[in-house]
Amino acid sequence: MWKTSETGGAHVEQAIKQLLPPCQIKCPINEDIQRTNVLISLLPNTMEEARGGIIQIGEHLYERNPLFNICGYVCGLCELECNYKNEGGAVRRRLLKRFLSDTYTDYLKEKPEAIIVKDRGDIAIIGGGPSGLMAAYQLSKLGYRITIFESGDRLGGALWLIPEYRLPKAVLSTTVENLIRIMGIDVRYNSKLGEGRTTVKRLINDGFKAVFIAKGTPNARQLTFGKDIVEGQELSGVMYGLDFLYEVSHGNISPDYFKNKKIIVIGAGNVAFDTARTARRLGGDIAMVCLECEDKSHRDGIPADIDEIRGAWEEGIKIHASRGVRKISGKSGKFEKVHCPRCTRVYNEKGFNPEFDTNDEIVLDGDIVIITIGQAADRELLKKEGLLDELGRLSADPHTLQSQVNPHVFIGGDVRRVGFMVEAMMEGITAAESINQYLNGENLKTVKKDYEPFGLPERPMYKQPTEVLWIPPEKRLHFQMFEKGLTLREAIDEAKRCATCGPCVSCKACISIGFEKSLYAVKVDEAKCSGCGVCVYICNYDSARLKSKDGKLTSDTDIFRCKSCGMCVPACPSSARQLVDDLTAAKISKTLTELA
Amino acid sequence: MKKLKIVCFSCKFSWGYLTDDTLLAADIKNWVPIICAGKIDPEYVVEAFTRGADGVLILGCPEGDCHYQDGNLEARKRLAILRQALLTHGIRPERVKLVLSRNPDGKDIPVYISEMAKTISSLNQEPVSTERTS
Repeated sequence: MWKTSETGGAHVEQAIKQLLPPCQIKCPINEDIQRTNVLISLLPNTMEEARGGIIQIGEHLYERNPLFNICGYVCGLCELECNYKNEGGAVRRRLLKRFLSDTYTDYLKEKPEAIIVKDRGDIAIIGGGPSGLMAAYQLSKLGYRITIFESGDRLGGALWLIPEYRLPKAVLSTTVENLIRIMGIDVRYNSKLGEGRTTVKRLINDGFKAVFIAKGTPNARQLTFGKDIVEGQELSGVMYGLDFLYEVSHGNISPDYFKNKKIIVIGAGNVAFDTARTARRLGGDIAMVCLECEDKSHRDGIPADIDEIRGAWEEGIKIHASRGVRKISGKSGKFEKVHCPRCTRVYNEKGFNPEFDTNDEIVLDGDIVIITIGQAADRELLKKEGLLDELGRLSADPHTLQSQVNPHVFIGGDVRRVGFMVEAMMEGITAAESINQYLNGENLKTVKKDYEPFGLPERPMYKQPTEVLWIPPEKRLHFQMFEKGLTLREAIDEAKRCATCGPCVSCKACISIGFEKSLYAVKVDEAKCSGCGVCVYICNYDSARLKSKDGKLTSDTDIFRCKSCGMCVPACPSSARQLVDDLTAAKISKTLTELA
Repeated sequence: MKKLKIVCFSCKFSWGYLTDDTLLAADIKNWVPIICAGKIDPEYVVEAFTRGADGVLILGCPEGDCHYQDGNLEARKRLAILRQALLTHGIRPERVKLVLSRNPDGKDIPVYISEMAKTISSLNQEPVSTERTS
């Protein structure tokens, strides 16, 4: 079994402009996706033998992303930009990571604590969700003592609202609990910002050198029609998706809570679909109402992931698309009907600005209506903490996340801008970097990194992706995972599909396991080169190119694109190309000399 | 019968990467693991014969699995042409063999070598040089 070594570690340098594989650019935290794929493709054939390799791959991922076990279940943003998507389907990177997660999550329980001298002062983090945890992890590594002030009784924030059929609770709790243990992070549960000693002012007075506010968006957004709040939201039987998912995650709702009940879910984001599918699993007959149209490719299309839409459809959830809600009506204080005019347009040039045709209105009857149209920060509280600027905005520098009203305070995650889990995680990383620079008295980096994606290399054949298996809809109306994970064999085959389009410097998988000593540069002897262009033909990475110099055509190599594969060397008819420092030719000569 | 000398080049991405090189080398004579079959210069194969090899075995990745996209197929193309050229010098095509397959623990490498040796010895008991006239 191979052993990965540190010298082969890949790192995304803080360059202004850099070539990367498109998946790694799409990932907000720029995870080493290609490297992971290459190493998975080289795992042994039995789980027993492969375990050591999986843990080595996991350890490298953990270094950058201690929540990768969770991402493997819920993210998959990288797949949206995979170059392979036009050749049969993106490499199923999320499932590959989930495959690692299934072994690594168990290993986490025995992973030793990190040995770090924490002598750089205390930092307070408000909120134990993905952003807060990520900042806590990064700052702990840098030697700061971290205290997380968590308003609830568990860490993970909004991740707990992801239904268990998509993310098993055990994976979530094992990951966050061990992160705290491994990094030696203090957590104060049931500590809300603005209560007791947990105010920004008191925390600073108590000796915390900086405060990172990542308290998420606990407030559900109220339903509006035009500029008005929709009437009827106070009726009994009207609830909000966020509260509903919260109660479900705490086990406060019985398994047949919605049995024989008609439920109407308003909204079309991923959270709305989580709500609808959860309610379906509690026995309800579900209809969804949303402004957006069914055509996902349209500007006004449903924003949720295609898999969510498909899943809901399979589970018998009816979607009333292109419908708004003008009014919620009821009798004796109890909800009865929603009145839904046709939505003719959701976005105009100025952005979200729905238009309706009130002559075309349907009325839907139901027992319960669940409003899931977004969430918002607790602005009153933020105002009280002195974090809003004169215009009433929660203003933080978008690059450094430093508050523009209080330099000790940094703000990130959903509270700043609602986004994907991994976007919140990235803000945690950014905040950690900024806090460290701020406390070191350095200038905060305000430069946005700029990455240029690689195209798909030339390949003689493309393979179809591994089929993703879902439990059939009639058998999956429960809270167990409905998607089957990959077997080792499937994982190896799927990882082998990766065309490794990225540059070697961001991967170095082959070096980390000793296949190569370094990434050799190609040297072209211009005196020998005839400019025939065979190397251009043979190179699969658009690295070998012809250029005109003093009226003579010669070839050269773009070192950023070159993979040091050496295929151009024997292809060159005039022996003008060679790999610098490559000992392969010498090894072959030695072996052949010893033949005699 | 004298022991035949088979030179073996194998691609690291499919062959023997799970076993330590030095352990495998004890069982495999004249063996050079290489990063990609597409990197093998036909000149090495020619040189092997001039130095007295009885056969050259090249082990590459299965079709569609090449880490560098098509190194295995490039090797196949080059060897097809090389076999023609070698034949004009009296060296039979069977003396250059390419296998596109996968064996991570590398235990099959000596098996392929001895199989090849068997084929060559059944082909012709005589040394390479006499094939020229046959």
